[in-house]
Amino acid sequence: MNHITDILDNTAFNGLTESDLSTIRAHTASCVECAHAFAAAELSSLLLTERVSEAADSTANANPFFQTRVLAAWREQQAGAVWSFRRLWNATGAIVASMAATTAALAVLVFVTPATNTTDQQTASLVPYSAETVVLEQDRGDNQMTNDQVISAIYDDDDEGR
Amino acid sequence: MLLSNGYEQASEIELARQARAEDEGAFAEIVRRFSPRVFHVAHRFFRDRGHAEEAAQETFLKAFAQLKSFEGRGSMEGWLTRIATNTCLNMLRSASRRPELLNSDLSDDETEFLETVSSQVGGETLDAEQKVVAVDMAERLLETLSPEDRLALMMIDGEGASVNEVAEVTGWSESKVKVRAFRARKKAREALEKLIGAKRIV
Repeated sequence: MNHITDILDNTAFNGLTESDLSTIRAHTASCVECAHAFAAAELSSLLLTERVSEAADSTANANPFFQTRVLAAWREQQAGAVWSFRRLWNATGAIVASMAATTAALAVLVFVTPATNTTDQQTASLVPYSAETVVLEQDRGDNQMTNDQVISAIYDDDDEGR
Repeated sequence: MLLSNGYEQASEIELARQARAEDEGAFAEIVRRFSPRVFHVAHRFFRDRGHAEEAAQETFLKAFAQLKSFEGRGSMEGWLTRIATNTCLNMLRSASRRPELLNSDLSDDETEFLETVSSQVGGETLDAEQKVVAVDMAERLLETLSPEDRLALMMIDGEGASVNEVAEVTGWSESKVKVRAFRARKKAREALEKLIGAKRIV
């Protein structure tokens, strides 16, 4: 049994040699199971042959508008690719633009502002008295009292009290 | 047709180069030239005309997207055949429907066909009506197989292709093709054996 089914399953039915067929026929004359297996293999081959034949007819009678259909799908795909880029830009354009503006602003702050400070410092070093120094010095001058002034101020108050 | 003017004489590599540059005329010529081959592959998998057209269209759109990979070493027909085969296999895999072929599901015509054909021994030609039933049954039989087994059986047992040809189209090793064909043949034979056996018992 296995020997016959092995022959049937290992080779396409149409590819069985005369030797294979005579072996099978000799065996199936007395073995019902193998006769069924052989009939099934033969039927399988017949069904497949008909299926292939129909496929060939269908190929020959293909839809004449197929090319038009494919080209329409192709154009749609091409337009879709452009459209999807536009949609992506519309959705993210504002974010991208604001990010670019922020980056530009940061660049100005990093590279331009320190240069301005340096210029100010250089200018300040050329001027002998800056406004700040003048004010501080002025305060210092006003607040400083000699010891005599302090003592006289205290005792003058006491004398007035008496 | 107008789109194809001037492209009919172009070589495959030239067409590929022009189509890559989004030249619609070149792409139209590729579709025109290779549609029969792509349809042949699609009909190997799909009996339904709509499904076959869908597979063929998908094949050409994929081919356009992959045109960079066509370097002209092999023929464009072979390259498209591989794309078409993979596309059809993927479509069948996603469908993943493998109903068992049961005796109780057979129509009256199929039952009659089985009784007639199984009682005859080889060599008879089928009439038009029997041919329709035979193709219906073949399709149902193929639906019980995995897409890969189905391809191997259709090509080798149906079309008489060699193991090497199937290996070339699918990219499988020859031993894998042999295993697929063996398994498909065995499964188909056993399914039909059950049906024939059931008819004989009845």
